[in-house]
Amino acid sequence: MTAEIIDRLQITAAIEREGEPVLRLDGVNIRNQITGKDVVRGISFTLKKGKVVGIVGESGSGKTLTCRAVLGILPELFSVSGGTIDLLGHDVLSLEPKQWTQLRGTSITAVFQDPGSYLNPSMKVGAQIAEVIRTKRGVTRQEAKQRTLELLADVRLRDPELVYGQYPFELSGGMLQRVLIAAAISLDPKILIADEVTTALDVTVQAEVLDLLADLKERHGLSLIVVSHDLAVVAQICDEVLVLRDGEVVERGATAEVLRRPKHGYTRLLIGEHHLYGLERFLDAKPTTPKPRLVDSRPILIRAEGVCVSYDSSTSRRQALKDATFVLRQGESIGVIGETGSGKSTLARALIGLVTPSAGQISIAGEDITGFSAARWRDFRKRGIIQYVFQDPLRSLDPEVTIADTLAEPLLLQGMLSKSEIRDRIYFRLDQVRLQRNLLNRFPGELSGGQRQRIAVARALVTEPKVLILDEPVSALDSANRVQILEILNSLRANGTSLMFISHDLGSVAGVTERVMVLYRGSIVETAATDDVVNRPGHLYTRLLVGSAPTVTSIGSIDRRSRQALREQLEAAS
Amino acid sequence: MLRGIWQLRAGKLSVLFLSVIILLAIFGPALAPYDPLVGTDHVLADPSAQHWLGTDYLGRDVLSRILAGSTISVLGSVQVAVIALFVGAIPGILSVYLGRTFEWLTLRLVDTLIALPFLVFAVAVTALLGNGIPQAMLVVGVMVSPAFYRVARAAALTISRSQYVEAAILSGASIGWIVRKHVWAKILPAIAITLANTMGTGFVVVSSLTFLGIGVQPPAPTWGGVLASDLGYLNFRPYAPLFTTVLIVLTVLAFNLLADVIRDVSGESGRALLIRREKKRGRTARQTSATIPPTPHGDPQ
Amino acid sequence: MASIHTERETLAYGGASAGLSSRWAVARSTLALAFRSIIVFVTVFFLATLLTFALQGLSGLSPAHLQLSESATPEAIAALEHEWGLDLPLWQQYLNWFGGIVQGDLGRSWYNGADISLLLTSRAAISLSIAGLALLIGVTLGAVLGITAAKFQTTWIDRAITTFTTFVSVLPPFVVGIGLVAIFAVWFNWFPSAGYVPLDRGGLGPWLSHIWLPSLALSMEAVADIARQLRVGLIQASRENYVTGALVRGLSSERIFWGHVLRNGSGPALTMLGMKFPNLIGGAVVTEAVFGLAGYGRFAADSASRGDVPAVQGVLVLAIVLVVAFNLLVNLLLVRLSPASARGI
Repeated sequence: MTAEIIDRLQITAAIEREGEPVLRLDGVNIRNQITGKDVVRGISFTLKKGKVVGIVGESGSGKTLTCRAVLGILPELFSVSGGTIDLLGHDVLSLEPKQWTQLRGTSITAVFQDPGSYLNPSMKVGAQIAEVIRTKRGVTRQEAKQRTLELLADVRLRDPELVYGQYPFELSGGMLQRVLIAAAISLDPKILIADEVTTALDVTVQAEVLDLLADLKERHGLSLIVVSHDLAVVAQICDEVLVLRDGEVVERGATAEVLRRPKHGYTRLLIGEHHLYGLERFLDAKPTTPKPRLVDSRPILIRAEGVCVSYDSSTSRRQALKDATFVLRQGESIGVIGETGSGKSTLARALIGLVTPSAGQISIAGEDITGFSAARWRDFRKRGIIQYVFQDPLRSLDPEVTIADTLAEPLLLQGMLSKSEIRDRIYFRLDQVRLQRNLLNRFPGELSGGQRQRIAVARALVTEPKVLILDEPVSALDSANRVQILEILNSLRANGTSLMFISHDLGSVAGVTERVMVLYRGSIVETAATDDVVNRPGHLYTRLLVGSAPTVTSIGSIDRRSRQALREQLEAAS
Repeated sequence: MLRGIWQLRAGKLSVLFLSVIILLAIFGPALAPYDPLVGTDHVLADPSAQHWLGTDYLGRDVLSRILAGSTISVLGSVQVAVIALFVGAIPGILSVYLGRTFEWLTLRLVDTLIALPFLVFAVAVTALLGNGIPQAMLVVGVMVSPAFYRVARAAALTISRSQYVEAAILSGASIGWIVRKHVWAKILPAIAITLANTMGTGFVVVSSLTFLGIGVQPPAPTWGGVLASDLGYLNFRPYAPLFTTVLIVLTVLAFNLLADVIRDVSGESGRALLIRREKKRGRTARQTSATIPPTPHGDPQ
Repeated sequence: MASIHTERETLAYGGASAGLSSRWAVARSTLALAFRSIIVFVTVFFLATLLTFALQGLSGLSPAHLQLSESATPEAIAALEHEWGLDLPLWQQYLNWFGGIVQGDLGRSWYNGADISLLLTSRAAISLSIAGLALLIGVTLGAVLGITAAKFQTTWIDRAITTFTTFVSVLPPFVVGIGLVAIFAVWFNWFPSAGYVPLDRGGLGPWLSHIWLPSLALSMEAVADIARQLRVGLIQASRENYVTGALVRGLSSERIFWGHVLRNGSGPALTMLGMKFPNLIGGAVVTEAVFGLAGYGRFAADSASRGDVPAVQGVLVLAIVLVVAFNLLVNLLLVRLSPASARGI
């Protein structure tokens, strides 16, 4: 017995005690070796046993690089150029690959965004978890399988035996994230890093995953690092929060304290966005009573009656939209909310003629569009009465066409304006979306995400439409850009343009909609004023949706147990 | 795109070399110092001042035979590429639009063409049909057409699936407009790459056929034929195949290099590459919009 | 932010469905997949034989050209064509011929009336020995080069291998053949430059020494293609997120490479091998001419020059059968390798 081993044992014993630090970062710098710049500067924090530290920041803020440094998997171009990282008594920066292999999985591990891509696509998910257990624990195949099944049940997958034998592509996003979490905790690690684990998931699924993480933390004594671009997500389960911007910590403290009294301007912006445009806007307000419904006298722009859409595949016929009936009035702003596959995008595509309804009638600005021929559609579209903004501007803008030509296209198709008139029109819309004219000769690939989305909005506006349909217009944007787009849209509303927001997240559009339509499994289950939907949700699904939305205030949100009860009720009902 | 190719050293090199080969094809027969068909007593001579590349087993000047034979090889490869382009691209585009049955059938036809060992088939057709190289190239063109089928089909699929095309449709654009404004620029490099590659393939096939003596009558000079006769007398002149071999290999290499260069300079990454290079030289050359002139004094804000 | 809310419509409720029905669905889709690929291969075989059969009509040749003199009377020609069944309607001729193929009967030669199946057997032994060895060299050397290049990515080893494969890939097989003969047979005199000794007559040594050079010449294209495709496939696969995923779960990078990356990254190379296999079979025409071997390639070229249509058709049918069978094998392997891709067919 050497002194070293005794030391090691004592350290381990010390760590086992509640509240002892398991991970300590001290002044960590991460350098991009090509540019020679430090992209992360002076990050320090301590993670204690059984605690949760949250890291908030937009993409490029260095939050993911920091996590990767802790895990020893920095991309090739990057290296830790200063500071120390202490993981359970190991100096992380001096570890050999062999030692890393021993530590990962057993001491520290991670789960990421887009869980499907983190599993081998050609291996059954059960086998992937079992492989880790078998190689690291040296148990038999049968034992590994048994343990894997237990883990799958532990992350609340309904049928572990079935999931064990499935390939990643056969599972939904929420299920994949559970599988990934099950794989992560298979060797009883001390620390779990959750990097944007709920991003791109439906709000209700997001809440399920967060609830699961909180639950595992309590039952297994895990220490968690939760990384997200969304302060509200972090606020749900973290004890302590770090706000990162441009590679530096700009704010830190106990979560409640940061939310209540943010010191840095950036944190205030993050929180402010929620209060201005999020659910909090309604939750914060004094308890309201349902307003008496006034007769709306604004002219009707879109009238949909009994619209059904079904998709036929070789084996089955799926009703994507059932009997949708609603009106959209001039200058009105309506939200269409629903989870993946609820039919919200189908509804929008039916309105613009990209899918043909199997039944029902739609009229836009007095014209019945249901029976339009291709030529009629072309003429109708050229008039630009109804315009559409896609979710992902990078895909909806032609990468090989300049911004100027992209913006000019709808007008050139109309063929009614002279070149100078087109130019004036483009300049006007460009000013309106607050972009500078020197962008006109750029290509979409040379613009930032926020700029691209504003170009997409400007393109939709050049024909001076009466209705604008926006498909998840802000989901892919960071806070500052989101606020900017929402402000632009609000000013459009003031000018009398009707807006239709499609989103999976009530919170992201609540601030700019008067009315909300909730879709669930192809049917409109609830249509009401936004305030009513948030404060007095009627349908079971709407209640779960509102209860699942992460907020920066605690008022109005429901606890884990009631959420679980709602889920069970909803499942029983369908 | 053309300017881009010229800006890269590899592009310049391949274009220059291929130009030389094309010039050879046009003027080669006229440049030949001796009659390529007439033999002399001077058989299997080593290279000398009179016969730069020596003579073959009938005493014919090898250089003259190579020069005279260049036409058939180059013409053949061009023919293969053009035929493959038309035979492949048109059904490739139609496969996306003419329904599932047509799609399935053309896909199976393409599978079939790929499955046929095309050298054997080309040999069989050429010999059985008793015709010359042009007829053989027709067959080879059809057999390598799957490459174009795929390129064209991929482009057509992009058109029917990509969101920016959908956005144009929502502005009331017709198919013609979409093809002109959004598709043409993207499909052109792919077609050019495949053309260059196919010409390389065609070149190898012509050389192979003429090497086997198929498709041409015996005394007619061809590159493959020169190689075949060299091979028979390897014991006397072991270095003999070197020149023809190098010529054939360099030509194929130039075609492939050209294809690679086109790939490098086209599309978004190509634009980035060219802009980087121009910046390095301190020049700015930006593609400008067709409708909107760049603002002279920056932005008004 | 970096991510976007993605639509995953079809699978959203996959978890809600009961286990049994889901398992049945998997079994059913596997069956449907098997059925679809069988249909594909049968169609390809049918179309390929149809094209081969069409050669006869296109060439306008008949046994009369080979067996009768120029001055033969029309009656004599008609009688001969009747004897060969060439006066039947085309579809009936095709059915007769196809019926024969299925039973392994490739018909008789117009040149000497011999059974083509019999003529081909001994020649095929030569050609297939060479093609088989070439396949072996192609796969082994290609895999070694591809894996090495991928493992030593961006080092000089990778660059050297890439340069070599790029160069080799543009070399026509007959050029490689001539080069090998000039160097190893004429210059060094290590191997015979021509001829063939069957395995059962001369034993392994002479057999190998005769087919070694032709196989090497034939395999070069496959070596280059496989090495390049494998390198790209492996590098791409090693950049996938699941590698990071396996790493943070505690697997060593060696284990990840050999256990996960290699399997997922070799799909494209395997597909490439299936597509290039016809060249391996068809390349015989040229390599046999270079090395003076009497295989089916030579047989095809000679028969074609003579206008012996059934003999040429026989070679083509043999080649088609080999190609289709090989591709069936490749496809089965691909489905085993990556079950997800199978859904795309």
